[in-house]
Amino acid sequence: MGKSKAGLLQGTLDMLILKALSLGALHGYGIGQRIAQISDDALKIEEGSLYPGLYRLERRGWIESEWDVSDNNQRAKFYKLTRTGRKQLILEEQNWERLAGATMKALRAS
Amino acid sequence: MSRIKATIRFLHAWRHPDQIAREVEAELRFHIEMRTAANIESGMRPNEAQLAARQSFGDFHRFKTECCEISRNVSFDPMPVKMGLHIALAAFAGVLALWAVNVPHHSFVGVFRQLVAITILTCLFVFIRRARSRRRLATDHMSDISIAERERPRKNEFFISDAREERHVNIAAHDEQGRTPVERMFKSE
Repeated sequence: MGKSKAGLLQGTLDMLILKALSLGALHGYGIGQRIAQISDDALKIEEGSLYPGLYRLERRGWIESEWDVSDNNQRAKFYKLTRTGRKQLILEEQNWERLAGATMKALRAS
Repeated sequence: MSRIKATIRFLHAWRHPDQIAREVEAELRFHIEMRTAANIESGMRPNEAQLAARQSFGDFHRFKTECCEISRNVSFDPMPVKMGLHIALAAFAGVLALWAVNVPHHSFVGVFRQLVAITILTCLFVFIRRARSRRRLATDHMSDISIAERERPRKNEFFISDAREERHVNIAAHDEQGRTPVERMFKSE
């Protein structure tokens, strides 16, 4: 049975980006790959939509970026999590668990 | 600390909007090139790989514009800063005018001061006008209104443009050594 890809709920992309970057600095393409990898390729993300998300997170001070050279010797912009971003990720994870738990409880109610 | 960084970033984006647009574009192009290369590695032909990469990326120009706009937005209300700047400019012009007329008008010093004041105010006026028009041009560039920008050929453009399919076919062809365009790009050095 093939895996069906789920669309993203509003606001979850930011959390996924933070999660992907919690494992180390990455460029935009790498972040997309890592999200696919950690979600077992189950989430459907329009690749370009990552970038406005990245810029928003950078503006909030949760991630920071710098230009560097990638594995294939091309210039690429690498992002990494800031201390504020790490704290925010913990908060987002807690919120998400609470929300998911409450939703599950509501769905299982008879 | 993040507020200071955000202010510095905003000022940089405000001062160099065209540079920000170029950086965003380079970043998005890099993504599409990487995806194309990955598609080719997985067995696609260059044309298909390129097309699939562009499709999975989505609307390039929309994302570019969004990123540029986010860069230029501040995380705080810019209105007090703008008002403060206007008030400071007006006060500066007033002080300069007083300085220029606060001596006998027909003396050498008086004429000299008036000339200096007129020169400084003219330079200020020209600088502000140029800064505004440059910002307007940059906004057009970000919104992809600028036809000149669209028509300017640049390296690896064949990954992006929908308008030059014929050129895509030529560029996408294998060269005499049988290499694909992406192989040429990555392995030429």
